[in-house]
Amino acid sequence: MLYDLRLTLTYDYDAPVHGGRHHIRVAPSSVPGHQRVIASSLSFFPKPQRATSFIDFFGNMVSDVSFVEPHEKFEVRLTARVQVEDHVERSDVSPTMDQLALEVERYWSVQPDSPQHFLAASPRVQLAPDIKDYASAQSAHADTVLGKAMALCLAIHRDFEYDPKATDVETKPAEAFVLKKGVCQDFAHVMIAGLRGLGVPAGYVSGFLRTLPPPGKARLEGADAMHAWVRVWCGTTMGWVEFDPTNAMMAGGDHIAIGHGRDYADVSPIVGVLRTHGSHETRQSVDVIRIE
Amino acid sequence: MRKRSQNTRTTPPAGPSIIRDYALLPGVPDEMLDASGALRPGWDKLMAAFDALGPAELSARFERADQYLRDAGVFYRKYDGAEGKERAWPLAHIPLLIHEAEWQTISTGLTQRAELLEKIVADIYGDNRLVQEGLLPPELVAQNGEFLRPLVGVKPTSGHFLHFCAFELGRGPDGAWWVLGDRMQAPSGAGFALENRVATTRALSDIYGEMNIQRLAGFFRDFRDHLFAQAKRDGGRVGILTPGQLNETYFEHAYIARYLGLMLLEGEDLVVENGQVMVRTVAGLKPVSVLWRRMDSSFVDPLELRYDSRIGTPGMVEAVRSGSISMINGLGTGILETRALSAFMPRLCEHLLGAGLQLPEIATWWCGQRSERDFVLDNFDNLMLGPAFATTLPFDDLRGTALGSSMTAEQKTLLRQRIAENGRHYVGQEPVQLSTAPVYVDGKLEPRPITLRVFASRTERGWTLMPGGFARVGSTPDTTALAMQRGGQAADVWVVSSSPVEQISLLPQEGDRLVRNSAGSLPSRAADNLIWLGRYAERCEATVRILRAYNARLAELSKPDLPILTHCAAFLDSIDVDASEAMPQGLLVSINSAVHSAGQIRDRFSPDGWLALNDLQKTAQRFATRIQGGDDATRAMTVILRKLAGFSGLVHENMYRFAGWRFLEIGRRLERAIQTARIASALSGDDAPDGSLEMLLEIGDSVMSHRRRYSVTAGTQSAIDLLVLDPLNPRSVLFQLTELRTQLEELPGGIRDGQLSTVAKAALELQTRLIIAEPEAITPEVLENIANEIGMLAGLIAAHYFT
Repeated sequence: MLYDLRLTLTYDYDAPVHGGRHHIRVAPSSVPGHQRVIASSLSFFPKPQRATSFIDFFGNMVSDVSFVEPHEKFEVRLTARVQVEDHVERSDVSPTMDQLALEVERYWSVQPDSPQHFLAASPRVQLAPDIKDYASAQSAHADTVLGKAMALCLAIHRDFEYDPKATDVETKPAEAFVLKKGVCQDFAHVMIAGLRGLGVPAGYVSGFLRTLPPPGKARLEGADAMHAWVRVWCGTTMGWVEFDPTNAMMAGGDHIAIGHGRDYADVSPIVGVLRTHGSHETRQSVDVIRIE
Repeated sequence: MRKRSQNTRTTPPAGPSIIRDYALLPGVPDEMLDASGALRPGWDKLMAAFDALGPAELSARFERADQYLRDAGVFYRKYDGAEGKERAWPLAHIPLLIHEAEWQTISTGLTQRAELLEKIVADIYGDNRLVQEGLLPPELVAQNGEFLRPLVGVKPTSGHFLHFCAFELGRGPDGAWWVLGDRMQAPSGAGFALENRVATTRALSDIYGEMNIQRLAGFFRDFRDHLFAQAKRDGGRVGILTPGQLNETYFEHAYIARYLGLMLLEGEDLVVENGQVMVRTVAGLKPVSVLWRRMDSSFVDPLELRYDSRIGTPGMVEAVRSGSISMINGLGTGILETRALSAFMPRLCEHLLGAGLQLPEIATWWCGQRSERDFVLDNFDNLMLGPAFATTLPFDDLRGTALGSSMTAEQKTLLRQRIAENGRHYVGQEPVQLSTAPVYVDGKLEPRPITLRVFASRTERGWTLMPGGFARVGSTPDTTALAMQRGGQAADVWVVSSSPVEQISLLPQEGDRLVRNSAGSLPSRAADNLIWLGRYAERCEATVRILRAYNARLAELSKPDLPILTHCAAFLDSIDVDASEAMPQGLLVSINSAVHSAGQIRDRFSPDGWLALNDLQKTAQRFATRIQGGDDATRAMTVILRKLAGFSGLVHENMYRFAGWRFLEIGRRLERAIQTARIASALSGDDAPDGSLEMLLEIGDSVMSHRRRYSVTAGTQSAIDLLVLDPLNPRSVLFQLTELRTQLEELPGGIRDGQLSTVAKAALELQTRLIIAEPEAITPEVLENIANEIGMLAGLIAAHYFT
């Protein structure tokens, strides 16, 4: 499937900002077997005094922009064309939990894709005993890692209410878990905390969903903003498999990935240090149009 | 460690009487006496010298060492409550003596270890072969909070991650030295080692002089040369990066900066421009090329490391990546302090260096491996158990590490269960036994356990050890290493040579090229603090003078509702000083603010200046609890005035006329001009009560000058002439403006191509107005305006030099 993406992030500052520096992670990158970036262009308004870019540890494209002149507004605009492979149903050849533990133990690598990075607590995902207990109970009937991940994905969708007003970008997974409410970021964090609690490597994926559903299907939740889902390491044979707990499905042809990391902190679309006294307001607009 | 059988000594040793009652602990090696009870080399001389001095003289000399540390203001900060308190440095007076032959063994062993650690960290952030080849478990890297992903693949510009390391050693029951821990992140203590040496030799200079003790200065000189050699390539500055004055070892950062001539920098002093680290100085941005980092890596950059860091510099990682800054030590080296790494060091050493570890380390079992986990669970009671990813030393880790057998049944069950379920988070370690050394308690020598902190630095000739360091001395005779958790003292370490040692000083040697540092390197933040220090000190003085005049009249007239007194009290009230308090809170606030500003820039002060200021603060606080208004307060204010003058004198007479001194002077002049204009305005108007002009002259310290110049009773015009317009009276407003203008012109960029800077122009304009003014034109309103305009000049200076 071929998509055209358009993203605009707008920051309105209460007071003029005198200089600032941001790391921006919104540009998609090619993931072999899943998606291919055909064209991608990123622009900033006002024009920064300096803009460079680099690839971070997890392979995400980072733009590093600096401002010296005072400004009251900052806008990031992305346009891209991306080819995405549709999700292919695969038979479950993932290991049991005991086998998984052995496979992880024998995985002698700290390369970015290694499951070793995705087992411990990370900046935004603390391991909470109650989330672990929930994950354990909800997935008890499944024997394989894939089965357990799917069970947890479905349980979160069933038990949690999609409510953008209930949480914000700083909400911790343990808080969202108590509320049983939140948005894609919260659901992804809760699922990650649950899986890691069980000993299953799990990471965070940020990206986009197609805006308009195929004829006859419902519009997906979270399509009007940046989206987030979870990837789970299902053993050496299957590798990473992506789940979308917000929509109770495996990620596939409707999901266009941007960032990969341990949690939101690794892929946050913008990290910045500003010299200002005021606060700011953020707006986001996303369009994902299917071309063919 | 393996225990060694040892015969307990029964007969008292011969030799100096001071050691007659020194009882060795059974089975524990001692640094002073060998197993037969004989004094080891060096100790014989030291103890004979102690004997010759006698107990009274010895105590007096130890007191001299303590006095030195108090006078020098040596302190460290300890966090045991909500707020860290400054503590006196706990010096154990008897140095620990180590013979150079033994020191050589330590030196060879630690050089090997430093080389090994460099190879390990280079691999972790480089090719990762150690993990791939199964020598280092991936969990210890990937699940380690000290593994900084943004630094993966980044080679340090100097070619090395490690430049300055510290090691903690202990001597085991078999008599050999063991490595208890590595400090690689941002090792502290080198400055304290220096101060220990100064304090100890203050007490024992004659003995020290005769004993062939290796000097420390050469070590620091070589390391300084190493730092500057790296900077020379690109001409940038060399600084110490400190978390600031609330850090537990800030004293040391300031001390070393002063000792080695490095800039003392905080994160906010720095900015990264086009990948280059720059320091904000009063002469603009200047490049920095070497930072001796004294804060944990993850705090140095809020953009790429810890987003919540408030002490970092955005873009610092980028500067490291681009190779424009050399970090001492490299970012991410904290991972080498991971406790579980100990379990793999012997094998890593064999693999990377093709040899065994020359100095052994604590036997460690990482519970992330099945058989090791089983071993730890089977030997639970006999092991020290602690967190695998901890970077603290076991005996600094009060909450996390304990001996299995010391736990309650409940604690044991819980921990056993956790280890079984989540083994990778735990290690078991062999409990460490330490050796003892003598401390002097109530006129007697007693054995106490010790550990040794040794410092190594990379120099042009490879790794060198500081020939000394410091020893931690336990507070009880318990020689299990964990007992060191209960705190103790620190002793100087003397490496004893058999032949005379080289005398080294940090002063330039013959043949060294004399290099003058440029004056343009004053960081803006330091300049800002200097201005405020000058202003607060002067504000204190002005307030004290008014309070003294007020209280003297109160004592004399004993009628607080007299017009002159109520008028004066109203003025004091306008500057937040309550005249009804004998030692007003408002004055204490100014004094505390002066101390706070001075505390931010301790590297720019002589210890004398700092002590004078602290003494002033203590005196004022003491007065606050016990003086009465009137006569009592008059005398108290005189004391404070004298102490303020002492502080100003020390600064004025001893501070080099660099830009730093100018900013201090600018602060003083600004504040004195403002205060004088204000009080003159309040006491010279038509509505001012009787006695106002006399009071004004007294506050302005100009009674004598007035009598000499005008030989009439005080009239408004003569008083104003003297206190506002007189170019020769050092207390007049015009005098302050003239000094201000001079200082502003001397600052970086003060005059450029014959043009005055905007701030110098503003000062000139104010000065000119007063030069041509006639006394009768200087009304209270005009004085208020002058005070306000000088206040604006202060704002202009801040905007020009500090942003």
